[in-house]
Parts: sequence; structure tokens; C-alpha cells
Amino acid sequence: MNPVLGYVAIALVTAATALIGFFGLRFSRTTGDFYVASRTVKPWWNASAIGGEYLSAASFLGIAGLILLQGSDALWFPIGYTAGYLMLLLFVAAPLRRSGAYTIPDFTQARLESTTVRRITSLLVIVIGWLYIVPQLQGAALTVRITTGLPPWAGAVAVAVIVGVVVAAGGMRSITFVQAFQFWLKLTAIAVPVVFMLLVVSDVPSLDPLVAFPAELAPSTPDIYRTVSLLVALLLGTLGLPHVLARFYTNPDGVAARTTTLIVLALLSVFYVFPTIIGLLGRAVAPDLAEPAAADALVLLLPGRLVPGVLGDVLTALVIAGAFGAFLSTSTGLVVSLAGVISQEAFGGSVRGFRIAAALSIVVPLAVSLLAAPGGLAGSVGLVFAFTASTLCPVLVLGIWWRGLTARGAVAGMLTGGAACGLAIVAGAMVGPGAGVVSSVLAQPAAWTVPLAVAVMVGVSLTDSRHIPRGTDRFMRRLHVPERPGIPAP
Amino acid sequence: MTGAEQRPVRPRERVTAPEAAISLPGAGVGPTDIGTIYVRSLVRSQLRLAIASAAGFVVLLAGFGASFVLVPDLGSLLVLGVPVSWLMLGFGGYPLVIGIAVIYVRAARRNEAGYLALSDGARRESEGDPT
Repeated sequence: MNPVLGYVAIALVTAATALIGFFGLRFSRTTGDFYVASRTVKPWWNASAIGGEYLSAASFLGIAGLILLQGSDALWFPIGYTAGYLMLLLFVAAPLRRSGAYTIPDFTQARLESTTVRRITSLLVIVIGWLYIVPQLQGAALTVRITTGLPPWAGAVAVAVIVGVVVAAGGMRSITFVQAFQFWLKLTAIAVPVVFMLLVVSDVPSLDPLVAFPAELAPSTPDIYRTVSLLVALLLGTLGLPHVLARFYTNPDGVAARTTTLIVLALLSVFYVFPTIIGLLGRAVAPDLAEPAAADALVLLLPGRLVPGVLGDVLTALVIAGAFGAFLSTSTGLVVSLAGVISQEAFGGSVRGFRIAAALSIVVPLAVSLLAAPGGLAGSVGLVFAFTASTLCPVLVLGIWWRGLTARGAVAGMLTGGAACGLAIVAGAMVGPGAGVVSSVLAQPAAWTVPLAVAVMVGVSLTDSRHIPRGTDRFMRRLHVPERPGIPAP
Repeated sequence: MTGAEQRPVRPRERVTAPEAAISLPGAGVGPTDIGTIYVRSLVRSQLRLAIASAAGFVVLLAGFGASFVLVPDLGSLLVLGVPVSWLMLGFGGYPLVIGIAVIYVRAARRNEAGYLALSDGARRESEGDPT
């Protein structure tokens, strides 16, 4: 591949991101501006921004790679990633916006009136954020290595530096514009090459469909436990993703939060059509890439292979730009929300503290990504979803809908879910894929760790019913009572 | 004594919204207060709606999965060189998600409108009540 394409595409995306980020700087003046863009962002902007932030390396590169590698099992990933927003709409969107809290720890503290709960939630948010940034940086390393020939660390360091500077300089007001831009960039960068590839694909030699889409990898022979467990993780994990939740605070009211989510569902549905097409195309025309080290690069390599000449080069530059946009946008979103939490915990919530916290939020995952061996992008992100679904999802859903939840119940449930899920993933990695049912149960733990966390949370809360927070009824009212037309939400 | 007086003073209070603007004017917060009863019934109906929508989605998705096993022809019939079962799983789920979401948003708004009408009616009856 011509390295100039890679350099040009990456430079353009970085310049656009920085320009929009600094252009937005004019609007951020107060602490409130920095944290949640003063909650005046319109649903279309906000939905584009949520899409921009959500579509990460796993979506842009990982899904197509996994379809190439594993066949139809991978087709559950994009539908799960999308349906996660359906669950968010049903159980979280409007009440969470009405809670008036800025971060998940703010929410749990206000709901359960406990600083212990707050600390544990903060810790989980930070761990989840770090774990989620790691695959983004590994995706960047892969992209830079394949497109420019530079050593892998260069890509990870470049993304980390850009993200740190943009976040520390602009805060979230400019991030909203950056993210909205990133969504449309990513959609264009994957849709246009797909259209051109579909136009020329009939002239390209392709495998017999029976070989490209073999019966043993078809949807009719699912590993039922693994599929169900994956869907539990993806559907419920979205509910607790820190960078996604922070976006909902920027809606003007609860009804707008629902409208925003609806638009997000439509945007994601359109987007995921394209990586799916690339994955299916890859099975038919690029079977040589179907190995773990190369599959995640399918999206980057296929346009240049199928479309000849200058047009092929332009399309390749476009997908590189989109991929780089994906790493930048998800990482900035995560760093903003992590920095919010870290600065409130450690620096009293000042603007200067936010900047220091932003640096901390990106340096730790950068170190991990440089030390750890990269796994498949879609798979690693799937495990973060499982962890989120086992910890933050239960406390949010029960906190919003069940007045019997107590601080002790929440702490016990979060710790049990987190420990069970974390240990299962580590044990699963040590056992490996060869141990049949045991491997599946450990490697894809959400189907049992989520019910376990919920059961402990409910069980402990029931034995602790004397300690139901005194402000519970008042807080439930705040979460669920609709805003009156004409009275602006606080 | 009301919940308002008991609310603990927290140093981080400034990062949450001012509460007075959210709670209904004139409504108390005791457990037997009529306003609280209305809120609990609103919460119950919204939760029922959310669970029903989620269950509907899960059943439809499971039906999707079952159809590939029960109708083997979906795996052998090719459209544009790809088996229909792969195409269905790859592209067929999204209309389902969006359809359920649209139905849910409308119903949730109806529940809230019903609550507002009820609580306005209750407030008018207790007009002149100074609390």
C-alpha cells in the first residue's frame, strides 16, 4: 500500500478534528460548559454525536474482520450493538436525563445517598473506560502499521496525543461538534467505498458461495449459549457505558433524550449495513485475509484490491480516514467522561483538574495497549460490554425502577458482578478455547454474571430494607415525572 | 417533617440540578401523599411498558434465530450469491429494533400525558391549599 495515502488521510482527519475542537473553544467558558455543553444541544446534533462517539474501532474495523474470520456468528455483533440503544431507550434514557446528574457516580450517589457507592461506581467507570480505550489504541496501531509501514506504537501514541490535547483544550462543547462530524465522516468513509466495490465486484473472481458461506458457519448452527451470552452483554452493556451516558446529559429534557435515542437507532442501523457488506464481500473475494492477524484490516485493504487505479487509492484514503476518525472519536468521548469522574474525585472538579485528569485518562490505557498483545477488536470490546453489563447496568436499572434498592445492596451487587465477570474472563483466557462448555461459560460470561449481580443486589437490598434512602420517593419523582411544556428543565 | 428538610447537605450538590424546579409545586413527598401515589403508578406503568417492549424484541429475535434452524431452505437459497439466512441475520434485525422503539416512544409519551392530566386535576381540587 502506498504510505502517502495513509499520511494524507490521517493528517486531514486530525486537522479537521482539531479545527472543530478549537473552533468550539470559544463557547466553553465555565465549568458547566466543560462538563456537559450546558445541556442545550439539539437532538439531531446530539444523536450524530452519540453515533460518532459509539462507532469505535470494533464497529469500523472489527465487525467486518470477525465476519470474515468466524462467519455468521459475527453477524450478531452489529445487531447487538444497535439493540443496546433500544434497551437504553426503554430503561434509562429519559429518567437518567431527568436525574440532573452529570456522571454515573453523581447519579448513584444522589440516588442512594452514599459516598461509598459513589467511590465504587467511580472506580468501575474508570476501569471500564480504560479497558475500552485500549482496543481503540490497538486499532490505531494496526491501521498505522498497515497503511504507512511505521511501527505499531506510532499509531497508538499519535491517537493518545491528539485526544489528550483536544479534550484538555476544548472540553465537551467542542467535543459535541467533533463527534457529530466524526459520525458523518465514518458513514461516508465506509458507504462510498462499499458502493464502488459493489459496482465492480461482478468482474472480480470470487469463491463458490458454498465455500464462501459454508453450512458449518451458517446461522442455522449457532452455539446457543455463546450467542445468548453475547447478546446479553451487548444489549445490557450499552446501558452502562460511561461515554454514552454522559451524552444524555446534554439533552434539554427527558422527551428530547428519547427523541435523540430514536435518531441514534436509525443512524446506527444505516451505518452497520456497510461493515456487514464488507465482511460478506471479504468472505467471497478475500479468503486469504481470514486469519487472526490480518482480518481486522479487511476494511482497509479491500477497496484497494477491488477498485483499480487512482479511484482505488482515493477510496483507500477514505477508509483510512474513517478508521482513524473512529479511534479518535471513541477515545475522546471516553477520555472526556473519565476526566470528568477523575477530576471530581481527585481534583474537586476545577477546570485545571479536568485537564490533568484528561491526561491521566489517556496515559494509562496507552501504556496497557503498548504492553498487551492485541486481540480481535470486536471480541475485546465485547468483553468490556460483558463487564459493564455485570456492574453498572444493574445499579442503573434497579436505581431507576426499584425503590427498594439500598446502598449496601448496590455495593454488594457491583462487587460480585465485577469480580465474577473479571475472574471468568481471566480464567477463560488461561483455559483457552479447547475445553468445550467450560471455555464458553468462562469466555462469554454475561449470561450468568448479570443475573448473579442482579440477584445479589436485590437480595442484599431486601435484607437491608431499613436503610432505604429517605429521599427515595422524592428522587423517583424527579426521575419519572415529565417536564411540563413551557417550563424549561433545569 | 418532609424529605426536603432531611436532605443531607453535600459538597457536590452544585453538580446536580436544583431540585425545587423539578418537584411539583404544592405537592408533598410523604409516602401516602396523593402526589407520591400518582408517581408510583406512573413508574409502574412505564416499567410495564419497557419490559413488554424488551420482551417483544427478545421474542422476535429468538424467532429470527429459530427460523434459520426450522427452515433449512433459508440456508441454501442464494440471493446475489449470499445465502438468505446470512442476509436476514445481517440486515433484517434493524427494522425490528426501530419499529419497537417508535412504538415505545409514543406509548411512553401517552403515559406521561396521562400522569400530567391526573396530577393537574388533583391540584385543581386542592386549590387554595397553602402547602
